[in-house]
Amino acid sequence: MKALQSSNFEAFSKQIFALLEADESMTLNFSGEETIFARLSNAKIRQVTNLQQAFIDFNFIKGNKVLNFNIPFRADENDFSLAVKKISQSREWFMDIPEDPYLVRPQHFGITHEENLKTLPTNEEMLAQILDMGGNVDLAGVFTSGDIVRATINSVGQFHWFKTRNFSLDYSLYNVKQKAVKALYAGSDWSTEALKANIKDTEFKLSLMNIESRKIPRGEYRVYMAPSAVSELLGTLSWGGVSMSAHKQGSAPLKDLWEKKKTMSPKFSLKEDFTLGLTPRFNSAGEVSAPVVELITKGEYKNFLVSTRTANEYKVETNFASEWESLRSPVVETGDLDRSDIYKALGTGLYISDLHYLNWSDKETARITGMTRYACFWVENGEVVAPIEDLRFDESYYSFFGSALERVTNFSELTPATGSYFQRDVGGVKTPGILLSHFKFTL
Amino acid sequence: MKLNDLLVSLNDLKADYISLREVSIKSLTMSVRNEIFEGLSTSEDRGLMVEVMMDGQFAYGATNSFEPSEVRACAQKAQKAASEAARFGLAKFTHTERPMTKGEYKSPNETGIDDFNPKSVTKLLMDVSEAMKVHEHVIARNVYLQLTEMETHFIATNGSDIKQNINRSAINLSATASSELGNQRRTFGDDHTTQFGIDKFDHSKLVAAATRIASEAIELLNAEECPNETMDLLLAPDQLYLQIHESIGHPLELDRILGDERNYAGWSFVKPHDFGALQYGSPLMNVTFDPTVFGQNASYFADDIGNLATREFLIKDGTLVRGLGGLESQKRLDVPGVASQRAVSWNRAPIDRMANINLEAGNSTLEEMIKSVKRGIFMQTNRSWSIDDYRNKFQFGCEYGRLIEDGKLTKLVKNPNYRGITAPFWNQLKMVGDKSTFEVGGLSHCGKGEPNQLIFVGHASPACLFTNIEVFGGGK
Repeated sequence: MKALQSSNFEAFSKQIFALLEADESMTLNFSGEETIFARLSNAKIRQVTNLQQAFIDFNFIKGNKVLNFNIPFRADENDFSLAVKKISQSREWFMDIPEDPYLVRPQHFGITHEENLKTLPTNEEMLAQILDMGGNVDLAGVFTSGDIVRATINSVGQFHWFKTRNFSLDYSLYNVKQKAVKALYAGSDWSTEALKANIKDTEFKLSLMNIESRKIPRGEYRVYMAPSAVSELLGTLSWGGVSMSAHKQGSAPLKDLWEKKKTMSPKFSLKEDFTLGLTPRFNSAGEVSAPVVELITKGEYKNFLVSTRTANEYKVETNFASEWESLRSPVVETGDLDRSDIYKALGTGLYISDLHYLNWSDKETARITGMTRYACFWVENGEVVAPIEDLRFDESYYSFFGSALERVTNFSELTPATGSYFQRDVGGVKTPGILLSHFKFTL
Repeated sequence: MKLNDLLVSLNDLKADYISLREVSIKSLTMSVRNEIFEGLSTSEDRGLMVEVMMDGQFAYGATNSFEPSEVRACAQKAQKAASEAARFGLAKFTHTERPMTKGEYKSPNETGIDDFNPKSVTKLLMDVSEAMKVHEHVIARNVYLQLTEMETHFIATNGSDIKQNINRSAINLSATASSELGNQRRTFGDDHTTQFGIDKFDHSKLVAAATRIASEAIELLNAEECPNETMDLLLAPDQLYLQIHESIGHPLELDRILGDERNYAGWSFVKPHDFGALQYGSPLMNVTFDPTVFGQNASYFADDIGNLATREFLIKDGTLVRGLGGLESQKRLDVPGVASQRAVSWNRAPIDRMANINLEAGNSTLEEMIKSVKRGIFMQTNRSWSIDDYRNKFQFGCEYGRLIEDGKLTKLVKNPNYRGITAPFWNQLKMVGDKSTFEVGGLSHCGKGEPNQLIFVGHASPACLFTNIEVFGGGK
C-alpha cells in the first residue's frame, strides 16, 4: 500500500508546508494500517475483513490561533486538493475564532525513522494454523495481522516515523459449562510451535474449570490478582487518574496522593517506560518523552502526566505526555513473590485472573467497581478448590495498591494493546501479580 | 468512476453476491472551557466497503481509495477470503439474508456543517460557559459541541440501492465544583444527540441549563452522603437511558447470545428459548426497537446489509418477544430479530447493534410516583456504569440524588449509587411515568465488536419507579 511509505508522506508534507504564510506553522500526524481482521467464534470464521486506510491530522496555527482537521491519505493527487481546500477554509475561520492562550507551537525534536518489518507467513497460513489447532475446542476471539504506521512531521523540520508489522490472536477458550480462560498470542515473529504451546497451555487451564463453580457470598477476602487483572486496574487509572489537567480541573481521583495526605504501599511503584518499545516515544505534537517517567514510587507521588498545553496553562513543567495525559506504556515494579509460592502465600481466598468493565464508584476516595471474569478460583489452604461464579467488587486504589498490598510477584507479564477503535492500537502494559490481605466484593 | 460502474466492473469475479457500501463522514467538534476557546476540529472521511459472498460465506474488503484498480484488489481479497472461509465457516448463508431493498432516508436537520458559523457558535459556547460561573468554586465549566454528517450509498448485485444521509448534532455541558469539601460534577445529562441541526439549539434554554447545573454542583458540595439502604428508587430518563442500554439493549443482541462477542464485550444471560417465554420485567414494561422516531439519534431506513427497518416490540407487557440482531443472526439462532446489522463506517463489517431502544411511556405522573413512596430516593443523570459480561450484575452511579420521605422529595444527597441484577430489577418496576415524564435522548458512542466499533444509538424513556433496590453512597 503506497500510502504507508514514508517517502510519500514526506513528499506530501513538503508540498503542504510550501503553502504556509509567514505567520503560519503546521504539524501533520499520520496514522495508517494494512490489516486483516478475522472474527472467530466456535473456532470457526464469523467475519473476515481486509482493510487498508491512512489518515493525516493537521494541526494548523496562524498567529495565536489554532485549528485541526483530518483527511484521508491515499498518496494520490486528491490528497493535495482536499488539503488545500481545508487550509483555505481554516484561513477563513481563523478570522472568527478567539486566540488560544495555551497554544503549543511546533518545535524541532529531531528526526527518527524506525521500521520493524519482519516477514510473517501469509494471513491465510497463519489463520489456517490457528483454526486447525483450535478446531477441537470452543475458541472465540479475533486474529489480527499487518502493518501499522504512526508518524509526525512539522513545518520546522521535525520528522518521526514508526512502522511495525505484528500479529495477535486475542482469544478465549470455553468448556461445555461455558466457563472460560482468556489468552493472547502476539508478536512480530510467528512460531507454529509457540502457537501450539499457547493453545495447549490455555486448554490445560480450561481443564481446571471443569469442577462445579462455587458461589462465594459477598464480603472481604484475601485475593491474588494475576498480571492481566492488574493491567485492568491500570486501565481505569488512565481515565484521569494520573493526569495533571484532570487533577487541576477537579476530576482526578488521586488528589490525596498528590497533596501527600495519603500514600500507597511502599511495595507499589508505577512508571511510564517507553523502553518496552511497543509504542513510539513521540506524542501527537512530535514531542519526545523521557525514556522513563516515574509516576508513583514506593507508594509516594512523583509525577502526574503533563502535556505541554497543560504546562502552559498551569505553569508547571511538561513531561511531553499525550494530549489526553493517559498512560501509554505503563509498567508496575515487580516484588519478591515467586510464582511457585503464590497459592501458598494466598492461603485461603480468591485467585483472580481477569477483571471486567471497571468504572469509578466514588472518585473522591479513588473507589472503583468492576467484575471478576474468566478463570477465577476459590483457594483453600493453598489448594485450588473450584472456579467461582463472577463477583462484583468495590474497592479503593488506596487499599489494593496501598494498605492491603502484601506482596508483589517477582515476575511481570507484558500485555500488548489489542484495541482497534478507529484504528489498531499500539502500546502495551507490563504488570506483576499482587497479593492482597483484603478486597471487598459487593454482589 | 460511479459506484454502479464499479459494481459492474466486478461482474467477472463470479461471486454469488457483491455489495458496495460507500460512506462519507464529515464531522466537526468545538469546545470551550472556562470561557477559553479550547479547539475546533473537523474531519472528512470517505471510503468503500466491498462485501462478497462465495459458497455461503461473506467476507469484506475496505479501502479509502476509489481507484478502480484498488477497489478491484480489495474485492479480490474479499473474494479469496470468502472462498477460504468456506472450509472454516461458522454458518452458510444464502440470498435470503440479503433482501433487495430500494429507498432513501434523510435526517430532519435543516442546518449542517456547511452552515457552520464559527463566530456565532463560539459566542453560544462562550455564553453557556459564562452562565456556569455562578460561584468561585465552579472551577471547570466545559461546553462541547459535535456535528456529524454520514452519507451512505449501498448497492448490490441483487438490485438493492439505498441512499441514507444521517446527520446529527450533540451538545454537552459540565460544571465541576471544588472546595475543601471535595469535588462534584454536574452535567447536562446525556449527549443530547439527535438528528436535528444546530438551529434547534435554543440559546436561552442552554444558558438556563448551564446556570442550573453549576448551581446544583455547588449544592452537591454541601450535601450529605447518600445513605446505604435498601429502598424505593425513582429514576429520571437521563439515568434510565444507560440502564436500558446496558441491561436491555446489550443482553438482547443476538450475536452476544450466539457467543460471537464472548471474547470481548461478553455474552448474555438470555437463552434462545427465552424468546416468547422469559418474564424480563414487570407487566408495565414495554420496550421497542424503533428506527422511525422523527429526529431520534438512530433513526434510519435500512441497516447496512439493506434490510428495511421497522418498529418492533422487544419486550411486550414484560415478556421478552424479540432480539436485536440482523438477518444472519436470526437465521443462525432461529429467533425473531430486527434490522440492526450496522457498521460504524466503511472500514468495518456490519454486526448486530442497538439503534433506538425505547421504554414506552406508562400512566403515572411524576407526582403520583413520588407520592406513592414511603422511603426512597430520586436519582438523576448517569455518571458511572458497570455490568458483568452476561449482563446480570450491574452497578450505576448518578450525579444527583434527593431522598423521598413520606411521599415528598426532601434532602439532597451526593454520590448516589445503586446495584442489582437485571431481570429481578426490571421485575421490581412498580410504576412507569406517563408522556409528561418521557424524554428522548441518545448516546454517541457504544463500543462493541472485534474489530472494535463505536456506534451511535438512541434511547427514550419516561421516569420509572422500582421497589426495594440496594442504594449506597460514596466514602470509604
